[in-house]
Amino acid sequence: MLRVLFQRLLLLPILLAVFSIAVFALVQAPPGGFLTSYVSMLASSGSSISEEQVEALRRQFGLDQPFHVRYFRWVQNLARGDLGLSLEYQRPNVELIHQYLLLTVLLALFSFVLTWAIAIPAGIYSATHPRSWVDYALTVMNYIGVAIPNFMLALVLMWIAFSRFGISVTGLFSPEYVQAPWTLGRVTDLLTHIWLPTIVLGIAGTARLTRVMRANLLDELHKPYVVTARAKGLSEWRLVLKYPVRVAINPLVSTIGWYLPQLFSGSLIVATVMNLPNIGPLLLRALVQQDTYLAGSVLMIYCFFTVIGTLISDLLLAWVDPRIRMER
Amino acid sequence: MRQKLLNGTPHCVMLLMAVLLALGVGTQVPTPPPVLAQASKYKEAPMLAALVKAGKLPPVAQRLPEDPLVVDTIEGIGQYGGVWRRGFLGPGDFNNYHRIVYDALVRYSPDGTKVEPKYAASVTPSKDFTMWTVRLRKGAKWSDGSPFTADDIMFWYNDVLLSKDLTPALPVWMKNHDGSPVAVQRVDDITVRWTYKDPSTTFMMELANKDSGDRQNACFLPSRYLKQFHTKYADKAKLDQMVAAAKFKTWVELFNARAQPPENPERPVMSAWVPATRISDQLFVLRRNPYYVGVDKAGNQLPYIDTVQFKFFADIQSLNLAAIAGQLDEQERHIVLGNYPVLKEHEKDGKYRVILWQGFGGADADVTFNETYTKDPDLGRLLQNRDFRIAMSYAINRNQIKESAFLGLGEARQPVAAPWSPYYPGNLYARKYTEYRPDEANRILDRIGLDKKDGEGFRLFPGGNRRVTIELSVVPAFGPWPDVAQLIAKDWERVGIKIIVQVRDRALHFQMRQSNDLQAEIWNQDTAGFPFTGTPKYDPRTILYGTITIGPLWKQWYDTGGKEGAEPPAPVKRLVELIDRAKTADPKEQARDAQEIFKIWVDNVFEIGTIGLTPMDQGVVVVNAHMHNVPTKLGKDWPLRTPGNARTEQFYYK
Repeated sequence: MLRVLFQRLLLLPILLAVFSIAVFALVQAPPGGFLTSYVSMLASSGSSISEEQVEALRRQFGLDQPFHVRYFRWVQNLARGDLGLSLEYQRPNVELIHQYLLLTVLLALFSFVLTWAIAIPAGIYSATHPRSWVDYALTVMNYIGVAIPNFMLALVLMWIAFSRFGISVTGLFSPEYVQAPWTLGRVTDLLTHIWLPTIVLGIAGTARLTRVMRANLLDELHKPYVVTARAKGLSEWRLVLKYPVRVAINPLVSTIGWYLPQLFSGSLIVATVMNLPNIGPLLLRALVQQDTYLAGSVLMIYCFFTVIGTLISDLLLAWVDPRIRMER
Repeated sequence: MRQKLLNGTPHCVMLLMAVLLALGVGTQVPTPPPVLAQASKYKEAPMLAALVKAGKLPPVAQRLPEDPLVVDTIEGIGQYGGVWRRGFLGPGDFNNYHRIVYDALVRYSPDGTKVEPKYAASVTPSKDFTMWTVRLRKGAKWSDGSPFTADDIMFWYNDVLLSKDLTPALPVWMKNHDGSPVAVQRVDDITVRWTYKDPSTTFMMELANKDSGDRQNACFLPSRYLKQFHTKYADKAKLDQMVAAAKFKTWVELFNARAQPPENPERPVMSAWVPATRISDQLFVLRRNPYYVGVDKAGNQLPYIDTVQFKFFADIQSLNLAAIAGQLDEQERHIVLGNYPVLKEHEKDGKYRVILWQGFGGADADVTFNETYTKDPDLGRLLQNRDFRIAMSYAINRNQIKESAFLGLGEARQPVAAPWSPYYPGNLYARKYTEYRPDEANRILDRIGLDKKDGEGFRLFPGGNRRVTIELSVVPAFGPWPDVAQLIAKDWERVGIKIIVQVRDRALHFQMRQSNDLQAEIWNQDTAGFPFTGTPKYDPRTILYGTITIGPLWKQWYDTGGKEGAEPPAPVKRLVELIDRAKTADPKEQARDAQEIFKIWVDNVFEIGTIGLTPMDQGVVVVNAHMHNVPTKLGKDWPLRTPGNARTEQFYYK
């Protein structure tokens, strides 16, 4: 077990090095560069700068250097934990990412809790009462939940909120709390705003998990140990919760690790549409503006979480399932 | 609805404006400031009065200069207070800020035809327009209370403009014809003189745009504050430490970042509101400047509104939804023309009203052919053919474009200055070749040798069986350009010219402009009111990304002094001659030169205008029902810093 962990940890830097090349190359792939996007953005806001100034900016940002020089400079700083300077924001990337990270994690946590709190009871109920009308109703809702794209749901809910109640539910804070320090008022304000994005982000996951839970539990319910326990007179709900649910929940637990990278990437479109201050729109904007170092940094963080997430989920699996643990 | 839209721009008003302008033409001579009713009694915002009482701020009379700027109010004297909520799209949208504060020594009038004093008390030219004397307001102060003097201009000149590190290339307006820098001298504490080797009659227009817009340095900088970041004045060890702490590589980067007001709340400004947070924050907040030099006629210190609040929107449509919901108090930037009907529909909810500000001239969507296209010599030759371009102009059904893409707003025209501009070349030119005459187009095309067609009815290049196919590149940047492109493509196919519409990403499109790979494109011509300053699209030497040029290789020819590229034809050379001459000509001659430029432009069909004078780009204005002093008619263009030229400091809530 320890050896596996050790091997995995050794592999980590190599994986990240490969990823960093891929990320940097991808971020640079679109035609033009930061200055082309920057100048074109100025042009479509009705203003423009002269060619000499563009050249001066190019030198200032180090964009006149060849690809490999810029890559090595970037990766060297990265190794030292320095994510560089955003070209567009003219602020250190660490500062920007830090600013968005807390709310990203918070939002993901909320939707995670919501997902599990609904999916597990719903899955258990469906499995123990198969072909009841509640089961059918849940099944239909699950299919809808999986089928509707998140951003679409967000748009529809936003429009209903506006046209019915005259409120625009974008963002996570009222204006007076956006920049405010954390006080009780700000927390309350956050709670009044966070439920809608939480539902939107959680709904697809809930639907999927409910189905998984239902299917797994259905498999277990007819196994001999359940029949034996029932014959011995154990009350029905204690019986279900104590044995088959624990087995059925295993696959869910072992995929927790995958949830880590999903936290960040899953919400990009929803966050953009709903104007949420999380890391998704920051990445999107950095990509559109070809803000190389910012986009690269965020993508590297994604990669890092993916690797770590997979590691965690492997370890969890090994811990949960003796068959995997014993394997050599 | 249609009737209502058309009534939005009554012709009598335009005519009246034109007459008024004809009487008061002359962008050069500053008008005398309005007179203050009672100079002795200044009043101030309650929040400032409280600070004065608490001893935290000097009394208002000591904060204002001896001769404050007296601002004409549009409806009447206002009341203090309130928050102006606006939307913005992040740090790249910094010009949103510059348009609100318009932080310049002089500024354009609301109609955009005059330049008026702002922080400068007066700007006076010598008789031959070579010497310009700028006199500042005596006793004016920066937002931190430090004096605003000639030293702040001299610091910009000596330590920023003439520093090779900070200004690698002199901007055009500070360069004499021989390439040497224009001389700037300090006369006394509040007077500075610019001396040109040749006459410069565009000085006032240039000065009106030196407001740190586009992230460039204004021509007046808070020298006391900025010296700590300048290598000439700062202690080296301390400066290096600051550079490292901010993660910059050089002091130049640090200086440039600290000199930008939207990026640095600590930098003193002169404008009515001072940044309190940074533009890279979720909420960009400006607060009133207690030292602002402006008062209304009753002696109330401006601005009326306490706070300006820019809310970040990641997506332009959610910004528009916020506007429809009445959550933005005065917003024209990023409001999409296509949303006009929805905005109008929700106007009845009573939260806001919608105003339309017309374009300042030119065309809001026009087609440009690349006349130096070389990848396909046959096509290149065809695009150079003036008759071909005339035929293509006749073949466009502009009325249909106006109705379906512009909601019936605007008018069919060529890209020339607006009728109320002194530069207007006349109706004959504004409407030349804009009638829909497909038969005439067919006749011309037959005559110029495109008389053979293939099985599908498309015309073939002479002496071959290759179909004439033109790629029309379009960027979905501002307005309904992709729709316009599709409509034009249909019209042109009707006269036998095959068009492929390519919708491209902005950056890619600009890259292709640079590398001479575009065959034809759609963009706008919004520089019609300002053909001599900034980067006018009529000047074939202006930069390729950012502005249209009709021939990238002509530009290269000018850039390399005739060594590379292609030599431009006589009319293009004449344009360059006129633009250079107009910069040194007196205002009357300048207007004549501008008119000639437009006549050459239209006669040669360098651009094919479709619809112009629409509110397309930042002209659909949502205004809170309780906000007043917002003009219903306003010149709208970037050089005017719209809505800055509406004098935002006198907007107020009732």
